[in-house]
Amino acid sequence: MKSKMNFLLLEYAINAILRRGKKNIFILLIFSMLVFLLSSVLFISDSIKLELNSVVKSLPEITLQRFVAGKQSDVSLSRAEELLSIEGVKSAIPRIWGYYYFKVAGVNFSVVGIDAFEDQYKESLQKIVDSVDVGVLEKNSGMIVGEGVKKVLEENYYKDFFNFVTAEGKWKKVTIAGVFSSDISLEANDMILLPKNTAYEIFGMDKKMATDIVVKVSNPKEIPMIVSKINLLFPDMRAITKDDIRVSYQNIFDYKSGFFLSLFLICAFTFFIIIYDKTSGLSSQEKKEIGILKAVGWSMDDIIKEKFYESFIISFCAFIMGLCAALFFVYFLQAPLLRDIFMGYSKLKPDFILPFSFNVEMLCLLFLLSVPIYIAATLIPSWKASTLDADEVMR
Amino acid sequence: MTLTPEIIAILMLDALFLFFALIAFVLSLRILFKWDIRSTQPLQYALEKQSYLVSVIIKYIFVLKLPLFLFYIFTCNKLSNIITGAMCASGVVNSVDFGLYLMVFKIINLYLFGFWLLLNNADMKDELSPFVRMKFLFFVIAFIPLLLEIILEISFFASLNISKIVSCCGTLFSLTSASYLSLLFKVDSSLLVGLFYFFGLMVLLGYILKNIPVFIFANLMYVLFSLIALIVFFSTYVYELPTHHCPFCLLQQEYYGVGYLLYISLFVGTFYGFCGGILEMVTHKGHTKFFKISLFFNAFYLGLVSLYPVAYYLKNGVWL
Amino acid sequence: MIKLSHIHKIFTQGNTEVVALSDISLHVKDGEFTVLKGASGSGKSTVLSLIAGLSRPSSGEVLVEGKAISKLPDNFSALFRRENIGFIFQKYNLIPTLSVRDNIILPLIPQNPSEEVLTHSVNHVMEKFSIAHKADMLVKNLSGGEQQRVAIARALINKPKIILADEPTANLDAKLSNELIAILKQLKEENTTIIVATHDPLFFDLDFVDAQVEMKNGKIV
Repeated sequence: MKSKMNFLLLEYAINAILRRGKKNIFILLIFSMLVFLLSSVLFISDSIKLELNSVVKSLPEITLQRFVAGKQSDVSLSRAEELLSIEGVKSAIPRIWGYYYFKVAGVNFSVVGIDAFEDQYKESLQKIVDSVDVGVLEKNSGMIVGEGVKKVLEENYYKDFFNFVTAEGKWKKVTIAGVFSSDISLEANDMILLPKNTAYEIFGMDKKMATDIVVKVSNPKEIPMIVSKINLLFPDMRAITKDDIRVSYQNIFDYKSGFFLSLFLICAFTFFIIIYDKTSGLSSQEKKEIGILKAVGWSMDDIIKEKFYESFIISFCAFIMGLCAALFFVYFLQAPLLRDIFMGYSKLKPDFILPFSFNVEMLCLLFLLSVPIYIAATLIPSWKASTLDADEVMR
Repeated sequence: MTLTPEIIAILMLDALFLFFALIAFVLSLRILFKWDIRSTQPLQYALEKQSYLVSVIIKYIFVLKLPLFLFYIFTCNKLSNIITGAMCASGVVNSVDFGLYLMVFKIINLYLFGFWLLLNNADMKDELSPFVRMKFLFFVIAFIPLLLEIILEISFFASLNISKIVSCCGTLFSLTSASYLSLLFKVDSSLLVGLFYFFGLMVLLGYILKNIPVFIFANLMYVLFSLIALIVFFSTYVYELPTHHCPFCLLQQEYYGVGYLLYISLFVGTFYGFCGGILEMVTHKGHTKFFKISLFFNAFYLGLVSLYPVAYYLKNGVWL
Repeated sequence: MIKLSHIHKIFTQGNTEVVALSDISLHVKDGEFTVLKGASGSGKSTVLSLIAGLSRPSSGEVLVEGKAISKLPDNFSALFRRENIGFIFQKYNLIPTLSVRDNIILPLIPQNPSEEVLTHSVNHVMEKFSIAHKADMLVKNLSGGEQQRVAIARALINKPKIILADEPTANLDAKLSNELIAILKQLKEENTTIIVATHDPLFFDLDFVDAQVEMKNGKIV
């Protein structure tokens, strides 16, 4: 820190690395592989988190579910009216939705009932509903589907219609009236929108009931207050706030990447041992070199510094290589194989594009997780090398 | 216990530090008791070699600790997203009883390790290695706060509870808070700000008079009152809100990260002032270069922090 | 001036102690040419490495240019070596996979000289020993004589006051040995202190040798 950078020493270090090419390439490759895996995992989880956060942003402030005997069950429509009487509640919209399991393809569709005269609970959905004539859908018994759904149906030869099996076991033929793509692809991909009456029929639900109710409030700061009032009014309803969902998403993905990191730590430890072993086993040629350097007037400090340059160059190169490979793998190739582990949803869900997410903090995190380990592993071997007795080479 | 990638990174580096610091500690003890510069026995030669390992290890720890400190604050900032009620790092830091002590130890350790390196440098520059015993004794002592910091940090992350509701900085740094921080707000802020400028002047005076004890004392008080004045008075002008006193929110992007600039210049300034002064007392050698650096960064901090109220006054014609 | 007084050097190998030097006292004045004679294993190399500060005595004192080199901390003894001592080894001890130039600048690297100083001093010695035209060749591709000149150029780049040569003619044919002796003679005329450790009879009856010291089993005979 006191003197300026010694470029001659740096040059010597680069030379020294190149002279022992085989050994160093081996280390470089293993280390960049490690960095690559680590960065890929963190990129994927960060990217999914970003996507989910944008989903969460559009979610209603409060979702109310009714629980009977610990199981979620339908809510009476009349409750929506009653909720409006609570001060601060802007709107209360009952939703009719559920999952439909398509046995042949082994996937779940999200089926959502829509109504022309009702506001939708979120903007993106409202846009889609506005673009179609729900009245016409109702008349022709039609539906509009997400791109992923469309693809799965086509693979199973349903080009213009689909036969739902209703709760009573009857066929319900619904024509495909349109396909939508949504900017928020993660959730829209597997979605089917159809008129509420059709949805009631498929699910076999009472028409006076809804699946759940979403509540919008005027002032987000009043949410805890409103939640406590709702709990008083309907003790059998559970309120899930936007914040709850955001935190649980973040936790799930932190947990998943944390799990990977724990595995990574084991790899890193193994790597630490390998590096330690590799760098402490000096060949007779290397020992002789150190002896020469000492004889011509290098101090222990100079030798340690040179060794530090070597390990910094190798680890930094490996870091950059692994990082670039991971960026390419995750954002260009869309992380084949690895992303499946993170998704864990139905087959349909993975069909979205990982949004690009990269920032300085991520860079720091990756750097701190990789380069210091490498350098730490070389600390003691470098020192040991510097303490070699120079007079041995003179024999 | 929450294991985010950031926490794992910090804990992993803690483990590395602990491992290496233990080696350095054992070697330091050996050197401390067995060192004899006149001896020509193999033991003495071995000790001389080992002293290099200790300095390599300390350099490694210090060089990583600097960025890691900022990374720690960043991690707390990020954790505030998942901890209910926390708006910035201060909520997270204070969510555990000893969070503040951890912070204090982190800062103290930066000063201690930095000072060790200065001492080591002075020692290496002298053919007689006059400070060998002193520097290893110093490390043996400095090892304790390092150990405490690591233990506190591990238990800090272990006891972080994401479902616990914590206070945000708005309540922590206010009159109504129950902590001793609130005592500060009971004192007239103009007195505290006055003291801040007073010690700033005293630093300058100590420099002009070349009076080292005054210089050290002034630097010590300067860093203390800088932080107090920042919390009580100057931060409100950065936020342009009379009730917002948080020292952590300064680090957020909305304020262009001015906090990093402030804290780094304050640290560099007082580090060279304080540790450079002590070094001069110990070595009896002039370190005018350090004092110049110290003076420059202290003045930079003072100027930057004073700029905010002045700019506010010029813009709005009133004080907050 | 080099002064060794009552030097003992004991190596420990496992549990056994090997006495390498016992009670060696030696005095070499500035500008003198001294030959250390003796069979291999007699302790000549150990004396040289003590003078260079590469190893330390078990007892006794080594004074070089008025400095107790064995008492200096490592960074100072390295500095001293760099500035005052040039080494010529048997088998040259060059780094074979580095270029001629890179081998010669090795002693300069730690002090981080400016580009001009570096170029000036390296060109100077390369011209002096006429190897400038091979500056960028790898040392392993040079002939024995050229390698020897590179080794000498490296030893002299810092203009040392003392030259230590350890069996410099051990692997050389008669022609190269004579070339080396000519160079040493020239250095002696430039008032460099020279100590040659050898058992080569070629050195025993040179006219410019000031002193001959014979060693046997770690003692001066």
